Amino acid sequence: MDLTPTAEQEAIQASIRSFLESELPMSRVRAIAEGAPQELEAPWRRAGELGFFGLAVPSQHGGTGYSVIEEMLLFEELGRALAPGPWLGTVLAAHALAEAKGDREAARRADVQAGRSRVALIDVEEGASGSEAKDDRFTLRDLVVADAARAELLLVLHGDAVRLVETSAAGVGISSGQVFDATRPVARVSLEAVPAERLPASAHALRRIGTALSCAEAVGASARLVELSVAYASVREQFGRPIGSFQAVKHRCADMSVRAEAARAATIYATLSLRDESDDRDFQLSVAKVLAADAFVQNAADNVQNHGGMGYTWECDAHFFVKRARSFEAILGSSRRHLDAIAARLRGA
Amino acid sequence: MDIRFTPAEERFRAEARAWIEANKPTDLPDSRDLAVRRDFDVAWQRKLHDAGWAGISWPKEYGGRGATLIEQLIWFEEFARADAPEPATLFVGLNHGGPTLIACGTDEQKAEHLPRILRGDTVWCQGFSEPNAGSDLAGLQTRAVFDGDDLVVTGQKIWTSFANIAEWQELLVRTDPEAPKHKGITWVICPMDAKGIEIRPIRTMSGHDEFCEVFYDEVRIPRRNVVGRINDGWRVAMSTLSFERGTAFLAHQVRLCRMVEDLASLARVTPLATGAALDDVEIARRIARLRAEVEALRSMTYRSVSKTARTGVPSAEASIIRLFFSELQQRVAALATEILGVDLLDLDPAGSRGRSDADPVRGEWAWRFLAAFSSTIAAGSKDIQRNIIGERVLGLPR
Repeated sequence: MDLTPTAEQEAIQASIRSFLESELPMSRVRAIAEGAPQELEAPWRRAGELGFFGLAVPSQHGGTGYSVIEEMLLFEELGRALAPGPWLGTVLAAHALAEAKGDREAARRADVQAGRSRVALIDVEEGASGSEAKDDRFTLRDLVVADAARAELLLVLHGDAVRLVETSAAGVGISSGQVFDATRPVARVSLEAVPAERLPASAHALRRIGTALSCAEAVGASARLVELSVAYASVREQFGRPIGSFQAVKHRCADMSVRAEAARAATIYATLSLRDESDDRDFQLSVAKVLAADAFVQNAADNVQNHGGMGYTWECDAHFFVKRARSFEAILGSSRRHLDAIAARLRGA
Repeated sequence: MDIRFTPAEERFRAEARAWIEANKPTDLPDSRDLAVRRDFDVAWQRKLHDAGWAGISWPKEYGGRGATLIEQLIWFEEFARADAPEPATLFVGLNHGGPTLIACGTDEQKAEHLPRILRGDTVWCQGFSEPNAGSDLAGLQTRAVFDGDDLVVTGQKIWTSFANIAEWQELLVRTDPEAPKHKGITWVICPMDAKGIEIRPIRTMSGHDEFCEVFYDEVRIPRRNVVGRINDGWRVAMSTLSFERGTAFLAHQVRLCRMVEDLASLARVTPLATGAALDDVEIARRIARLRAEVEALRSMTYRSVSKTARTGVPSAEASIIRLFFSELQQRVAALATEILGVDLLDLDPAGSRGRSDADPVRGEWAWRFLAAFSSTIAAGSKDIQRNIIGERVLGLPR
């Protein structure tokens, strides 16, 4: 039992961090959010060249041959950087295509891994109203989907089925307007009997990976929020002292770090449970999601408070985290849904 | 990264589990009479000792098990999972006094005390806190002056568990009132039968005598009982406290997990107008959140043990875990009182006996609820823990 990263994993994480600090600093994230989405193109392409989208794909299929653990480290860093872009959909598509046979799938896989195809993730419950799978065609009415407007592909999880849809296909309707979270903009997607190729992958399995990785993203952001608050509270002075010397602020920062640490430990444990296919992996993932949502949402709010009036401005980065925290809460199962899953387990016990 | 234990560790777990299951006493005395409790603890510790399980974290050369950190983790998990009783009256000797002597004691001190502590022959108590030195422990004022071969101690200690049955006390005294407050303290072994010691019990909010006040009126303690150097007692004491926050804490975390399971059981058998409390969406979600938090606590503990095992130094996050644990324990107990509703108010055993088959711990919640108030105060209040996290983990200015 060892929940600390190996030296190699530490090195991987450090290199991802330095890549993101130089290619996707907060100034660029802000530019993307303020209406220059093309600013993401160069770092995205470079991430593809570095193999970030296929970290867990076996090397014989063009991937790096690591596991979901290294992907977890990647997503922690993405969260820390508040990186925009359809990372989750693209990485999950790489998973879904890993075992696919045939030339067309191989070409798709290569495109996804290289970052040439950006993939938005759509999670639809089986039997959800307005959704229908018939032969190789898929219909979906008006769903809110993150990062759909600039994606080449849609990865549709429907029940346990996994399908890929080209956004350029006839019958695909994507409309976007003003969004709440500009670092993860949503669009409304409708599919009218569009061609949807079924992939030999399990949507349940992809949801588990997606939950683990998005929790890791929330953990990275939660920890970053502690750093931002501590940095500000150490230099901002009132009454002739740094505000971080006041217990009201110091203790709020301490609570933020407790939340971030709890979320990180839960996420690491859940991701390891997933890798090892432990019997309680779904429970552990629910635990991680509840703790990570709590950490991200609360830390984002506390960080605004710690920044005082500055925290309320557009100029301060604090609001981007507040908004992204809500995006996280809403995808792949709300905290409520995960709490209900844990409660069901308690009833059965 | 790995959540699996090695085959050797799994064998250790199986061995520990089998032994605890076969040997744990089940006749925990109902009485709050400390002499009775002491007899019980001594018998249980003797059994652990004779089977080679005493002092799980103590080095082998002092008769301990010399277990690795991971083995200690496993041992405390199994101990708590089996609901084996902790030898509570022996806690200070085994987890503070003994380890401090191992770290800082002379050969004579070790030879005299360590075997007796390990066998459960002697009870130790702690003499650290004072009425005016709680969170600010280094501000302690109990004076000690040297007179020939003796230290002469005058002052008062407080919150001392088991002072009235203990043979020995780990006592912090001020030997240099002129020095800066951390520099003038000495750690000394105080015999509790010395002339001039007066002990008065303190009744807590639960109505029980849990602690004592100890008064010292020119108490003479031999100079050879000083542990470590004179005026270096603060450093000696800190080595003790890091033990307190070390692996022995693991068992609490497992017991808290059991408490959440008890909470779910309570909600399962407690009827509301619409069905069992556990079928109420709001109550079920609140219990589920506590279940998630106690699971996260376990993962945090594992991570902390992993870090310590890797680096060899206690993890800086110990205060984070303690704070999370103590507040969580209060939330668990508080929710139980809500679910109990009016049933909480009747402490008459006959009243709780009515449902005892369905829920054997139903009558325990009132005491658990009251006892939980101490968890954010004892061994460093939650406010002090937040200062430690803010200043030592995050580096915020003082």
